[in-house]
Amino acid sequence: MAMGSIGDTLWDVVICGTGLQQSLLALSLSRSGKNILHIDPNDYYGGAEAAFSLQEAESWVDHLATEDKGLFRSASITKPDVVGLSFPRAYSLALAPQLIHARSELLSQLVSSRAYRQVEFLAVGSFYIFKAPIDPEQQPSLVRIPSTREDVFSTTAISAKAKRGLMKFLRFVLDYDSPEQRDAWKPFADKPLVDFLQEHFKMDTELKTYIITLTLSLDGRINTKDGLFIVHRHLTSIGHFGPGFAALYPKWGGISEIAQVACRAGAVGGAVYMLGAGIKSMDTATDEIELELTSGDKVKTKLLVRGEESVGDEPSISRLVAVVDSPLKTLFESTVDGAPTPCVAVVALPPGSLTTPGEADTDPVYVFAHSSGTGECPNGQSVLYLSTMATPNSKEILSRSLESLLLAVDCDRVPQCLYQLYYEQAAGVKQSRLDGLILDLPGPSLSLLMDDASLNHVREAWKKVVGDAVDDAEYMVFTDREPVDDDDDYE
Amino acid sequence: MPKIGSSRPRTSRTRTEEQRQKDLERIKDYRALEDQVRHHAAKNDYSPDVFALTSKLLRLNPEYYTVWNVRRRCLISGLLSKPSPGSSPSKVLPTSSPTATTTTSSADFSSSLSTEIPPAPESQTTGKSGTTAEEDEEQKQQTRQQDQQNDQQILQKELHFTIPLLLESPKCYWIWSYRLWILKQVIERLPVPVARNIWEEELGLTSKMLLRDQRNFHAWGYRRHVVEQLESPELEGKSLVESEFEFTTKKISQNLSNFSAWDSRSKLIPRLLDERNANDEARKAFFEEELNKIGEAINVGPDDQSLWYYHQFLMLNLVNSVEHPTIAPAFTQEERVTYLRREIESIQELLEDYDDAKLIYEALFDYTLYLCQLQGRKPNEQEEKDLKGWLGNLKKLDPMRSGRWADLERDFGLKE
Repeated sequence: MAMGSIGDTLWDVVICGTGLQQSLLALSLSRSGKNILHIDPNDYYGGAEAAFSLQEAESWVDHLATEDKGLFRSASITKPDVVGLSFPRAYSLALAPQLIHARSELLSQLVSSRAYRQVEFLAVGSFYIFKAPIDPEQQPSLVRIPSTREDVFSTTAISAKAKRGLMKFLRFVLDYDSPEQRDAWKPFADKPLVDFLQEHFKMDTELKTYIITLTLSLDGRINTKDGLFIVHRHLTSIGHFGPGFAALYPKWGGISEIAQVACRAGAVGGAVYMLGAGIKSMDTATDEIELELTSGDKVKTKLLVRGEESVGDEPSISRLVAVVDSPLKTLFESTVDGAPTPCVAVVALPPGSLTTPGEADTDPVYVFAHSSGTGECPNGQSVLYLSTMATPNSKEILSRSLESLLLAVDCDRVPQCLYQLYYEQAAGVKQSRLDGLILDLPGPSLSLLMDDASLNHVREAWKKVVGDAVDDAEYMVFTDREPVDDDDDYE
Repeated sequence: MPKIGSSRPRTSRTRTEEQRQKDLERIKDYRALEDQVRHHAAKNDYSPDVFALTSKLLRLNPEYYTVWNVRRRCLISGLLSKPSPGSSPSKVLPTSSPTATTTTSSADFSSSLSTEIPPAPESQTTGKSGTTAEEDEEQKQQTRQQDQQNDQQILQKELHFTIPLLLESPKCYWIWSYRLWILKQVIERLPVPVARNIWEEELGLTSKMLLRDQRNFHAWGYRRHVVEQLESPELEGKSLVESEFEFTTKKISQNLSNFSAWDSRSKLIPRLLDERNANDEARKAFFEEELNKIGEAINVGPDDQSLWYYHQFLMLNLVNSVEHPTIAPAFTQEERVTYLRREIESIQELLEDYDDAKLIYEALFDYTLYLCQLQGRKPNEQEEKDLKGWLGNLKKLDPMRSGRWADLERDFGLKE
């Protein structure tokens, strides 16, 4: 289709932005036969979930410096005076390094829509807790969180009594949806999970930290209802796609890869894609909108779907992305026979891990360690993504966390940092908003775990486009375009 | 591979007319193949062509045991080398007596090998004329080597042939039986280092099987048979008891509920300690280690029957020292009593957190009686109270076995 003619079509939908939600919308519509124009003011795919080469990261940071609005701010890049950084395209730094539980809704949708075939999923391995040394002369260490019965059996880090407590909780969570267990936690549903663990299980601080870490709750105050849901999903995800892991991570940049695959599916389905084109102005009428794009084109559409750019009420996060000159092998060891080698490991620094006397306890800091197996950095290096709640001190806290973590990892020498990217991200608006013919999808999630709830908004948008004639059961259910010879279809 | 889940339409597989015709064709082909094989076998024709037919047929139906026998005859009557006159006895075809085994499951396997398979009538090998005795001997050596190489190729090809069949039908008795027969031929026909290698690979295969299905009872039996062969003089074997013990440790750490692993472990202990030439100190230390290990396991898995069985195995080692060989026969009476008391106490601690685990009450009941038995006395007042209490819990938690609890009440005079 020649570029000039995009003004001639009355589009069924114009989607603006190629973040995860908009891209999944394109995927969901890829067999609908609808006329779709999918644009993005950036000259890259992925929006707030993009993955950047070092070059792209630099442009992004420069661009943010000139802007005042938007969800990202205070971005900066530091390149220490250390040798070893490779060429820019050797890196693919993810803005949204989220983990995806094996039993998440996203994965079932990727499977039913066949898009999963285009993504290479890697296993997320161990979860660790950072332990400050008792003696300040000693090095800190990392303790693996046990999440199966066999893990609990083998670990030497907890007492027999504490192990029993942990086992009781694990059994409770696996059954948490039954009427009997519901009676126990319902009164605490909206209260913090830590309180429930204290009241009902008399859990000590250490065990509480294990459980909260599994939820990856950024403020450590996740409520009981949501917390139990996540722990339950973690536990039931273990072994779901293979032994020894509960979560997956897409190779080549995480969520951005899913967004790209989804857009590709959209394109194959006939959608027209335009990067570097945003909306300059619009003119709304009763049953169509006229958009003037920054490219100069004027297009008419029945529906416009955008991603919300305005800042919401929830707290912001601080993130530090650090490239280090070590493969950090001990973090990525597979602990189960027959399990794939993990490429992602999680380390939590609980509140108080770094506190010097007199200072207040900080929020937890979560670190996602990515090996070069993710394709995000060259061999021999690793990428560390540190996240915490944004506060006046959070930048410094992340810096100190990085330093401490590098001392705690079991290595022949302390790894050096080759590159650092820092930024803060505000929470967007949580709800979808439909105003006439304009549908604004909620802002991108700040969660470290792929959130099922966000997928509902995509489904609602899909419904808006396809109308009532289409059965809901058909959402994201496609057959392969070409015959594929594989064992997937035979159980 | 990822399951597709509820979004997949659940339609019953109704065949179209086209599919039905295809099926009829397939049945026709199969019957034709089957007829061919039976026809040749009836004529005692076990030529390579028939061998090829059996390959086709067995791929379609590996359960057809008669055809496996036809295949065996094809190998013996032509494809494998003939035993040369004057060759060592160990290279002669097996007789019909089963090899001596100690475990029932290995016996099951090897007794299936004992079916006598008479070789098809063969032509006489004529000696060469006009050669010296030395040249003759050298010829014989060369031929023997050639034969062995040829046999090795064929036997390994046969092992390969069974693999895809096993993947599809992992519990098909006849495939395993054939595999074992081939492996026996390996011992009979090939030089010891080569044979050892192949059998070691087989051990690796059983590890893989037990990885896929950790509690496959048959796989454990098969593994024991393979280990026995590897330890045997025919394969110039040494004891594998240390590595097998280590293997059970690994399996347990992967899945505590592995009854077969705990069971295997208990059976290996006597030989393990003997081979280590363990003295009294070492034996006592070993016992203590095992007790700690099972204690850790029960601590996280109090509902697991296999764990309690192993714990009981250790307790019986303390109590039944006279009739049965035990781990540490040098324990004094005092030490035994101390261990029992200590265990009863720690098990009672478990009740703090697991007050509804019936196996805990059963263990407390049994071990209290063991203690009395050890000390040659009847339960004292406190113990009687405890026994009645635990029995009460058992009656509540396991009403289905009320008959059993009633028996115990009566036998030990514990009626309330």
